[in-house]
Amino acid sequence: MRRAILAITGLAASTSALVVLKGSPGVGQVAQDLPAGQASVAPAAGEPGTAGTVRPAPRPTASGRAPAARPTTAAPRTPGARSTTGKSPAAPRATTSAPKPALRTVRGPDVKYEFGTLHVQITLSGSQIVNVTGIGLPQSGQSGQRSDDVQRTYSGTSGEVVQKQSADLNTVTDATATSNAYQQSLQAAIDRAG
Amino acid sequence: MTYQETYAGGRRTGTSSRHGGRSAAPVPPTPVLPRRGPGGRRALSALFWLGLVASVLPWWLDTPAGSLADTADVLTAAGRITGLVAGYLLLVQVLMMSRLGVLERALGGERISRLHRDVGATLLVAVLTHMSLLVVAYAEADEQSVLGEVGVLLRDYEDMLSAFAAAGIMVLVGCTGVRAIRTLLPYELWYHLHLTSYAALLLGFGHQFSNGAQLFPPGPVRTGWIAAYLLVVAALVWGRLVAPLRFNLRHRLRVADVVAETPDTISIYLTGERLNQIDMLGGQYFRWRFLTRGCWWQSHPFSLSAAANGRWLRLTVKVVGSHTADLRDLDPGTRVWAEGPSGTFTAAHRTRERALLIAGGSGIAPLRAMLEELPPGAALIYRARTPADVLLHHELDWLAQARQASVWYVIGSRDDAGPRQVMNPEGLRRLVPDVARRDVYLCGPSGLVEESVRVLRAAGVPRGQIHLATFEL
Repeated sequence: MRRAILAITGLAASTSALVVLKGSPGVGQVAQDLPAGQASVAPAAGEPGTAGTVRPAPRPTASGRAPAARPTTAAPRTPGARSTTGKSPAAPRATTSAPKPALRTVRGPDVKYEFGTLHVQITLSGSQIVNVTGIGLPQSGQSGQRSDDVQRTYSGTSGEVVQKQSADLNTVTDATATSNAYQQSLQAAIDRAG
Repeated sequence: MTYQETYAGGRRTGTSSRHGGRSAAPVPPTPVLPRRGPGGRRALSALFWLGLVASVLPWWLDTPAGSLADTADVLTAAGRITGLVAGYLLLVQVLMMSRLGVLERALGGERISRLHRDVGATLLVAVLTHMSLLVVAYAEADEQSVLGEVGVLLRDYEDMLSAFAAAGIMVLVGCTGVRAIRTLLPYELWYHLHLTSYAALLLGFGHQFSNGAQLFPPGPVRTGWIAAYLLVVAALVWGRLVAPLRFNLRHRLRVADVVAETPDTISIYLTGERLNQIDMLGGQYFRWRFLTRGCWWQSHPFSLSAAANGRWLRLTVKVVGSHTADLRDLDPGTRVWAEGPSGTFTAAHRTRERALLIAGGSGIAPLRAMLEELPPGAALIYRARTPADVLLHHELDWLAQARQASVWYVIGSRDDAGPRQVMNPEGLRRLVPDVARRDVYLCGPSGLVEESVRVLRAAGVPRGQIHLATFEL
């Protein structure tokens, strides 16, 4: 019985630890330090909205939730640009060894819609979109299911956006509002990327 | 009714033994048993932790750092982690009960049942946490009441009805596993309730894929998770069906004779084919099913009370319940279905060269078998209430001589002078001066075992050298 109690305590502790590790922006920032310094070669204008990977000053967002968090999430993905799942520690290595430095990240504007606020972030190699992800989509409940549907269809290295190279996408069934918001932010991001 | 010294009154006619038991087979001069170290156990434990990490890893990789912005997100994330852990632990639970030969011989039935209980408690907590976290998180995101959200989940989400049913089964099984409740229930009810946990495995399967964020998209994670399920089912089929079937078709065990050792203890002799090819050690046990009317549906673990000799197997059983009472009337020729051998309570699992065996009552059975396989110089302390309770007396004396072992019979109840003198650290050291440098094997009633462990620890025996054979949960 003693072992069971120990195991349950361990479960609780490690679950909270995992959530805290993922949730706190600080951790992401630590992992990001190195690539952020190097990634400044990317055409990142300091002007808010034009966006880039490096955005030291937290910008207040419409939704008002954890403003610092979003730019951080974006950063580790920039150099690697392999998939939607960028694991932070892999980032520095990818940067130093990457032969093609032409990857850059452009962030779309925040779009407020029925279930929250989202923005889209695209990764380009030259003028080719190689990766897309929507950020800030609600993750739980039914709206979470809609978010998942939209992300699955549009985002990623093999999603509809990368295939079509445009913001003219098919609306995801049962997720019209999310789809529209996504497309709106995406269009703006593509325009910004020029 | 009075019994003579040989208990002929309790013996069925036609039994030719003089002493209530047959003489043991001649022991080959010095069979040196290769030791089976803890390597297998460590490998399995490493595998377990690896699996646990692997099952949570998809969540870690799928979640961008800093993306858990509000409470609902945090709750969802925690719910997903506990869900993944619960899914993995359920597989581990079922795998541990698969009777896979590797597990039975590397971990042993006693350790498996202890682990099964501990992991079970953890699993129950994980499932309940998973449920409540996600319901609350979804309710917050949808701006619903908690109960309303449960309704939405049941109505609008695929496979959630069966998932809730699976959780219900797990709660039921978990509650009946609590010792206080379990002792109130008849064994059969408890057993059949436990069988429904297979249904939980099945019912919980669907929602992991239709609603699980990590498992929904096709890819290596989803494939791996399904593969793990298939592997566990394969292990179950192999350990519960194929391996026993093969064993029993190969060896075709039958009851040869039933012999009364004392008024309330019997030995059952079994014969069969190719008995010399069974890879078993003294101290291991089989789960026996005697195929007669009234007995066939019950399977009980009994230790062998004689080491492998290629000619017969023997189990010595104390008559305590209706099932064991029925065993007295087994007819020679009755078919026996056996599953095993299992257990790490063997001479091969010793860590030192010499051993001390402590037996209580009918707990002598596995120790008697083990005594044949221990290197010379072993010591046996046999606790019994009265001289008549001493089982296999003649065999033990004979073995003591043949294997150069010392045997002490400590007779009397716990408070009598003799037992009190022996069952304390000084007394033990007087009998066995090098007790701290021996492996100690304990088998007997739980009171005796607990007391002995305490005394042994006080006498300086490291915990790793104490081996227990208890089925008490």
